[in-house]
Amino acid sequence: MSRAELFRTYMEAVFDTDKAAAFAAVRAALEEGMTPEQIVFELVVPATEDTMSAITKDPDANLAQHFMTAQIASEVTEWMLERFSQPPEVLGRVVIGTSSGDLHSLGKRIVSGCLKSLMVDVIDLGVNVSAEQFVEAALKHEAQVIAISSMMVHTATGENGCMKVRKLIQSQGLEGQFRVIVGGAPFRFDEELYRKIGADAWAADGISAGKVITDLIREVKP
Amino acid sequence: MANLRVGTSKGQHWLTVDGAQSVREALAETEARVPTACGGVGTCGACVVRVVSGQTNPPTAAECRKLSGEELARGLRLACQLRVGGDAEIEVEQGEKASSWASIPLEELPPGPGLRSAAGAARYGVAVDLGTTRIRVSLWDLAQGRRIASRSGPNPQEVFGADVLNRVSTAVNYPHRRPELTDLARGAILQAIGDILAQELGDSGVPPAELGRIVVVGNTAMLALLTGAGLPALLDPTQWQRAIEVSPMDPSAWQAEWHLGRAEILLPAPLAGFVGSDLLAAVVGTGLLEGPPGSLLVDVGTNTELALWDGSVLHVSSVPGGPAFEGAGLRFGAPAGPGAIAHVLPCPEGEGFICETFGGLPARGFCGSGLVDAVALLLGAGLLKPSGRFSRPAGPGGHPLDPAIPQSALSAGDVDTFQRAKAAQASAMEELLELAGLGWRDLRRLCVCGAFGRSLHVGHAQAVGLLPQVEEQRIELHGHAALVGCEWALLATDANAVLAAVASRARLVNLSLIPDWEDRYMAHLRLGPIPLESCRRVSP
Repeated sequence: MSRAELFRTYMEAVFDTDKAAAFAAVRAALEEGMTPEQIVFELVVPATEDTMSAITKDPDANLAQHFMTAQIASEVTEWMLERFSQPPEVLGRVVIGTSSGDLHSLGKRIVSGCLKSLMVDVIDLGVNVSAEQFVEAALKHEAQVIAISSMMVHTATGENGCMKVRKLIQSQGLEGQFRVIVGGAPFRFDEELYRKIGADAWAADGISAGKVITDLIREVKP
Repeated sequence: MANLRVGTSKGQHWLTVDGAQSVREALAETEARVPTACGGVGTCGACVVRVVSGQTNPPTAAECRKLSGEELARGLRLACQLRVGGDAEIEVEQGEKASSWASIPLEELPPGPGLRSAAGAARYGVAVDLGTTRIRVSLWDLAQGRRIASRSGPNPQEVFGADVLNRVSTAVNYPHRRPELTDLARGAILQAIGDILAQELGDSGVPPAELGRIVVVGNTAMLALLTGAGLPALLDPTQWQRAIEVSPMDPSAWQAEWHLGRAEILLPAPLAGFVGSDLLAAVVGTGLLEGPPGSLLVDVGTNTELALWDGSVLHVSSVPGGPAFEGAGLRFGAPAGPGAIAHVLPCPEGEGFICETFGGLPARGFCGSGLVDAVALLLGAGLLKPSGRFSRPAGPGGHPLDPAIPQSALSAGDVDTFQRAKAAQASAMEELLELAGLGWRDLRRLCVCGAFGRSLHVGHAQAVGLLPQVEEQRIELHGHAALVGCEWALLATDANAVLAAVASRARLVNLSLIPDWEDRYMAHLRLGPIPLESCRRVSP
C-alpha cells in the first residue's frame, strides 16, 4: 500500500470512528516499514488535525464522534510512543483536572487525548481537584499550563475552583510561571466567563484546547 | 423595566421584566413556566417561545445551534436566551401540565403483596414513587390488602431542570426558591392523592384524615427537595457515597399542611447521595434478591441506577445518562404520555416508517422507546452510520421518520444525545458485571425499569447497543417496579425494614472513580450490538 493509500485508509477509519479499522491501518503501516515516529508525525497527527477540522465544520458532527476520534488518536499515539527508538521530545507539560466539587471527567479526558497526540506531556490529577493540588502539582512537575475542567456553573464559578488557583498563583508570586486555561459547558455559553474567574484562556472543545494550550506553553517556555 | 405580554392557550399574563433577566427566568415565577432540561444554558432547546412583537436581543450562538434559520425567521427563540429591551409580546405553547394524572393500566401492576397490613388502626395508605420526571402514586385499603387505585403524572419540578443537580443547585444557591421546589413536589403528590380520592371514591370516599400511612421512595435528590433536608451535601461529591439524611425537618408541620393529622409519613432512608430509596424499592418490586446470581436491574432515567445481584452481594451504582430516554433534551422530545411517539415501525409495503403515539394523538415528539426505535431503524436502513453520522446530511429540520410529521424528525444532535446516554448505560452495566467477576453471558435476569416503561422494543435496543443480545426471555420490562416495592413497604409492619434489608446487602460502586469505566464508555459510543465477550480496549 502506498503512503497515500495508508493515509486515506487510516483517515476513513478515524472519520467513521472505527477503532479496529484504525488499528488495522496502523498495523499495515508498520508492516510497510513505517517507523513508529513516522506513523505519529506523518499519519496520526495530520489525520487527527484533518478529521478534527472536518468534524468542526460538519453541521451534523456531534460530541460522541469527537470523543471517539480523540480516543483513537490518543490510543494509537500511546501505542506508538512505547515503540519510539528515543524518548520523544515533548513540547511542554500540562497539569489537568476537574475543579473542586466536579466529577465530570470526560471533557478533561478528551483534552488529554488531543494533547498527547500533539506531543504535550499531560499530568492528570483526576477529578474533584483542590486549588492547592493544582498549584502544588504544577510546581512539582514544572508544568507551564494548569488546565481546569468544570461542567457545572457552580463548580466553574465557585470560590474553590479557578478563582482560588489564581489567588494562590498571585500570593505565591508565580504569575509569570503558569498559564491557566479553563473549559467545560458553562464557558461555551458565556464567552467572557473565563476572565471573570481569573483564567488566561478557555477553549470550546478538545481540538481547540490543543491549539490554545500549545500557544500558552510557548508563551511561558520561550 | 419593561412590560412583557405572554399569550398561552390558557390565557394572557402580563409581567414586568428587567433586561438582565432571561424570559425563562421571568416566566418561571408564573403559571406560564416553560420546560427546561438543561437548567437554562441553551443546550436542550426545550424552552421554545415565539416573539410576536417588541425589541429583543439578537439570537445567541446557542439559539443558532438549536433553531433553524426558518424557525428564527418565524420569531421562534429559546426563552432562556431571550432578553427584552422594551415592551414585548410573546407566545408560549404549553404542553400537558402537572394536573394530568392518569391511572396506571391494571395489567402493568402486579396484584401486590397480598398482605393485610398490621400497621395500625387506620384503614388506608398511600405508596409514592417520587421520580425525577414522573410521580407515581397508589392508594391502598390496608385492612383488606387491596389496591384501590393508582395515578401517574409528570413531576412539576421539571421547570427547574431535567437534571437533578440543576434543581438542587437552584435550591441551594437561591434559598428563596427552595420552598417553591418543595411545594411543587408536595403539592403534586397531594394532588394525585386528591385526584384518586375524588375520582375513584366520590364523595362517599375516604377523607384525607383517614389515611394512616404514606410511604415515599425516590432518588436522594428528589427526597431532599421534598423535605428541604440534606441539600448542600448533595452538591459535595465527597458525600455521594455516604448516607444523606433527608428526613423531614419538621414532619408535624408537613402533616398539618397536608391536613393529614393521623398520617405517618415515612421516607425510608436512601442508600447514598447517588442511590436513592427508589432503587431499593425496585429491587424489592422485581424480587431481585430472590433470583439467581447474575440478576441485573437497570432503572433507566436521567440518572440511571443499577443493581447487580451476584448471589451474595448487591453491587449498586448510578450513572448520569442524561434525560434523552425521558424524552427531554431532544429537538422533538416528549415525556412518555399522550402524543409522544412510543413506537416507530417500518412501513409494511415499501420504504418509510410509521410513527405510533400514545393515545393515537398528533405527534409531539419522541419519548424513550420511540427514540430507540427511530435510531435502530435508521441504522438498519443504512441511513445512519455506526459513528452516529447520517449517510446524507439531514438538513436543518433533521431527518423525519415520517415526512408528513415534522415532530418525527431526528437531528444530528439528538443522535449524539442518544449515543452518549446509551454509552453511559451500557458501559455501567458492563463495568458492574466485570466488578462482580461476571460477563454478559452470565446474565440470568435483566430487569429494565424506569423511563421506557413496557414500550421498549428489546430487539431494537439490542441492535443499537443499549441492551446486550442475551436471550430475549432473560430480559424483563417492568413499568413501575419502584412503586411496587414501595407498596410492599407500605403493607409491611415495619416499612423501613423492608428497604433496609436490601440496603444491608448493597455494596456501592462509584463509576467516576474507576478509570477503566471511561474506556468502556468510549467503546460503547458507537451504534451497534454489544460484543458479548466483554469489550475491553482493542489490543494492538
